[in-house]
Amino acid sequence: MKQFIIIGNSAAGIACVEAIRQRDKESKITIISDEDYPSYCRCLISYYLAQDVKEDKLLYRPASFYKENNIEVILNKKVARVDPKKNRIVCEDKTALNYDSLLIATGSSPKFPDISGIKKNGVYGFRTIKEIKEIEGLIPLTRAACILGGGLIGLKAAYALKKRNIDVKVVIKSPQVLSQMLDFEAAGLVRKRLEENGIDIILGNDVSEIIGEGDIRAIKLDSGKAFESSLVIVGKGVSPNISLVKDTEIKFNEGIITGELLKTNIANIYAAGDVCESYDITTGKHSVNALWPIAVEQGKAAGANMAGDSVKYDGSLGINSIEFFGLAVVSLGIYKVKEADKEFEELKISNEKEARYKKLILKNNILVGAVLVGDIRPSGVLLRLIRERINISSIKDALLCEDFGYPDMIDLVKGGEKIYV
Amino acid sequence: MKQLYYDVKKCLGCKSCEVACAVAHSLSDELFKAIKEEKLSLPRKKVFFSKAKNYPVSCRHCKDPKCVDACMAAALTYDKEKGMVLHDEARCVGCWMCVMVCPYGAVRPNLKTKMPLRCDKCKDKKEPSCVKACPTGAVIWQEEVK
Amino acid sequence: MSSIEQKSIDPATQEALRKAKEENIKTAWDRLESQEPQCGFGQLGVCCTVCAMGPCRIDPFGEGAQAGVCGADADTIAARNLARKIAVGASAHSDHGRDVAHTLAIIAEGHSHSGKGSHSHDYGILDVEKLKVLAQEYDIDTNKSQEQIVKELSQKLLAEFGRQEGELTFSKRAPKKRREIWKKLDIVPRGIDREVVELLHTTHMGVDNDYKNIIKTGMRCALSDGWGGSMIATDVQDVILGSPVPVRSKVNLGVLKENYVNIVVHGHEPILSEMAVKASQDPELVKLAKSKGAQGINLAGICCTANEVLMRHGIPVAGNFLQQELAIITGAVEVMMVDVQCIMPALREIASCFHTKLVTTSPKARFPGVTHIEFTIDKAYEVAKQIIQLGIENFSNRNKGRVNIPKQEMDLVAGFTKEIIFQILGGRYRATYKPLNEAIISGRLRGLAGVVGCNNVKQTHDYFHTALVKELIKRDVLVLQTGCSAIACAKQGLLIPEAAKEYAGKGLQEICEAVGIPPVLHLGSCVDNSRILSAASYIIKEGGLGEDLSDIPAAGCAPEWMSEKAITIGFYFVASGVYTVFGAQPFATLGSKNLTDYLTGGMEKDVAGRFEFCDDPLKMAQLMIAHIDKKRRALNLKPAMYES
Repeated sequence: MKQFIIIGNSAAGIACVEAIRQRDKESKITIISDEDYPSYCRCLISYYLAQDVKEDKLLYRPASFYKENNIEVILNKKVARVDPKKNRIVCEDKTALNYDSLLIATGSSPKFPDISGIKKNGVYGFRTIKEIKEIEGLIPLTRAACILGGGLIGLKAAYALKKRNIDVKVVIKSPQVLSQMLDFEAAGLVRKRLEENGIDIILGNDVSEIIGEGDIRAIKLDSGKAFESSLVIVGKGVSPNISLVKDTEIKFNEGIITGELLKTNIANIYAAGDVCESYDITTGKHSVNALWPIAVEQGKAAGANMAGDSVKYDGSLGINSIEFFGLAVVSLGIYKVKEADKEFEELKISNEKEARYKKLILKNNILVGAVLVGDIRPSGVLLRLIRERINISSIKDALLCEDFGYPDMIDLVKGGEKIYV
Repeated sequence: MKQLYYDVKKCLGCKSCEVACAVAHSLSDELFKAIKEEKLSLPRKKVFFSKAKNYPVSCRHCKDPKCVDACMAAALTYDKEKGMVLHDEARCVGCWMCVMVCPYGAVRPNLKTKMPLRCDKCKDKKEPSCVKACPTGAVIWQEEVK
Repeated sequence: MSSIEQKSIDPATQEALRKAKEENIKTAWDRLESQEPQCGFGQLGVCCTVCAMGPCRIDPFGEGAQAGVCGADADTIAARNLARKIAVGASAHSDHGRDVAHTLAIIAEGHSHSGKGSHSHDYGILDVEKLKVLAQEYDIDTNKSQEQIVKELSQKLLAEFGRQEGELTFSKRAPKKRREIWKKLDIVPRGIDREVVELLHTTHMGVDNDYKNIIKTGMRCALSDGWGGSMIATDVQDVILGSPVPVRSKVNLGVLKENYVNIVVHGHEPILSEMAVKASQDPELVKLAKSKGAQGINLAGICCTANEVLMRHGIPVAGNFLQQELAIITGAVEVMMVDVQCIMPALREIASCFHTKLVTTSPKARFPGVTHIEFTIDKAYEVAKQIIQLGIENFSNRNKGRVNIPKQEMDLVAGFTKEIIFQILGGRYRATYKPLNEAIISGRLRGLAGVVGCNNVKQTHDYFHTALVKELIKRDVLVLQTGCSAIACAKQGLLIPEAAKEYAGKGLQEICEAVGIPPVLHLGSCVDNSRILSAASYIIKEGGLGEDLSDIPAAGCAPEWMSEKAITIGFYFVASGVYTVFGAQPFATLGSKNLTDYLTGGMEKDVAGRFEFCDDPLKMAQLMIAHIDKKRRALNLKPAMYES
């Protein structure tokens, strides 16, 4: 009988404990989280703020989940450090817990840029239900809000606040929205849709100062322009929560480094989710892919291996799916390459009038990335081509066709599934 | 558990299965009324044409479903007893993660209703409507082939 | 799988179906099951097979293709499909009319006697009065000799088929106002064959893709049938074979007789079946039959040819469209002779299960491997005798153990034509429509309804016809019937004067008692729907009920329609200003909202008539009565006298 400890109660943590329990019903499992809330769907908090979903729908698992699966859950307790030599974790309140096998799934936290006024009241990241509830409390008092950053988080926050009838301005340093998932042309289609729906986008600008005595009153841009705002949401990316391993022999880079079994360099310590740095199958390098479905698959593999199995994790990649005001967008793997880079081949089809765009990026006739706007139907099979690293030379002409689908690649995929007689 | 299989030699690509599927998931369950419904139903399966043959594609109800893992709203679950992936419309927010990860491209977004279109084996009926609708018997409903 | 009771309300049919089931014989009902579910694209009318760039289909749920390869949208595809059906229906009726006109021409040339037979077996001119009336319509001097009149009339009739310009002569029977509407809309029927050709032309790949225009051309073609081909068939058949007079007879499978040689005529052209009637009474043949152990020869009919010989000779009717297989399945039919239209290909296989000999007679309607004895005018009687003899000789092959004739046979009265209505209602001294009009004006009769058409195996056989007609007569609507619809109601006992007491409302009862008619009048076969057009024109002429056919408090209905002919009939009634309900299932146009809306709404502005699709007989009655009442109000008439 072992003692498993899982630091983190979100996507990776839950996937891990479910994988363990599938194989091991006896051992003790303890989940420890620094949030004071049962496991919830983090990605839904913008929908909650927008009042598109009610709070009860935020729970990722039913309230009975922990009891039914015989899991001890400790909420509202932060782990200060991991002690690999002693096989224990030490919390901020000095309590210590021993483990036989540990999963670090501490997630990541919003990055706050070094701007004058960044520490004022009214500046929020957009990560936890606690923050969202505070923001919600301010809504009746807020007329105008400013979003820093044009990533997924920033735009989702912008949508939510706009839905609550708050004037929203999104300030983006880059010359496009969603610079971490879309190329310029696709981003243009998204920006157009957002602006058509009343979301003000300011590109190529950075916030230089957040102005206000105590509470925020205004925002000043580096161009000199200023505008009214009493609420600031920072969506400038996240950084993995690795403070707890900093003074240990656990190897980390941007995130905690893991191998193909999601193990760290310490044999009985695993990492998964936003905190985890893993092999990226599209770039060939190790990186953090802080995405919900990636966290789930990593947690699943880690849990299986913690329970004695030997599940190889092929690697992660960037995958994002979002919809803005009826415009669906999917980004897979490498979404942008430099024109001069002859290593890559681009296939593209675009229809600005209908807001449709499809771009595929190939390397040596293997799909390594895709951007789809408008019609996202083939996303699943394109992702499969990327993951299975299929040589697509025999179906290259079909890739951009409107009804490209599974049957076009059935002879090439590795599944071996039996569907057709 | 029964599953849908397709005889490609018999599939004529007539799409009667698609029409039957859409009607089966409409409010009225009748062709002439279904086409008038406000929230127009759509088929949960699609017939693709590839290399001179026709291939119907529908959710395989995988045992280790990628869509269930990817769902960020916990709207998808795998029901061991029924042997199928279940979709809870009340929890779904139309984020299209499931569309993005399905290895068969069997899930499509319905942009009007903001719900994914996926085969549910006509779970509230005796058998999937597409089975009878196929004029050549290309849709096969039988115990799972391992 | 539906129960026997759900398949038909007629007990004779139910019994025959039971026999079919026991003997494992597949009927139309079984074949429907193996066809179900039928193609959704076809049902909605959005499948186009016109050209080789297709076949194309429009996705009725909006996701897939919304246009064919050539760019045709659902409106065009559905309208073209419908137009082709109108053309085929018109062709069937008009080709029948052509054969009749041709027969008249042959009579004119004196070539209608068969080799050895005496002159009395010829076709003759049995209604000289009507000959003269028609001659006058064609501007032929009736002082000439009969031979001359017949010759000129037949030439002018045949010329109607090849006419290119102007207007069909019979279309001038319509009231002035109606003809003005046709002129304004440019749908005056010019020539019988021309309208069919032009309509088909417009449906060719890449011709008309304005659905309203396609329907317009369709209406013109339908009018060339109703006021052309069909009317010629009806009126010239009356001239040659004699106009019907009220006659009593019997209907349903029970008319087949166990101890007789049973000969069934099936199809549509009475030029053939008339000869069968005569041949069945030929003394030589009757003697032959008796020598084979039969008590005689029993001739019965199925479908419209049955109606024709019923109307003129009181020949019993074995059944309507859906009973054609069942007649053979009784095991008691020696010969079924068929000509054209509504004859199921299945009869071949079913006949082969029994001793029954299926005989085709028309070069236009062959069955592979089936005995074909071609019927020609010059050998008419000879051929008829030959076929009946075949039957007599087949009598001994009958497997007596397999015979089961359902007992049901019902009385009926048939034989009402527009002329008869004149005479009956006017009394002995003065043939007039006045009493009919006055009955409607006074409100004793709420109005008129034409309930016509086929059977359709997708509906409970005979149920829609009878439920609707019972409801209509209950509300004092005088019902005029033709075709399989009339047979259906006859089987339920609605076509006898006694039915008035049992089923009719007070007002209608009073009329029926006064005049001695049933509450439901049998006007004949499907081409005889033209009798209704003519009668309606007389009603307007008589006065007091408006100036156009659309003013008459009347409505039409085809409750269980099946064939293309039904569509064409519907169109020529609607184009003549009649509100016409099609029951059981709509046209295959629901895949085009625009077209369907036009047919059931917009077209009223153009022709003061429109379609209604309804799948419940009581609701159909409500709709028709509401329409009739609306027309009464528009004429400032009081409501029906015995408003219920």
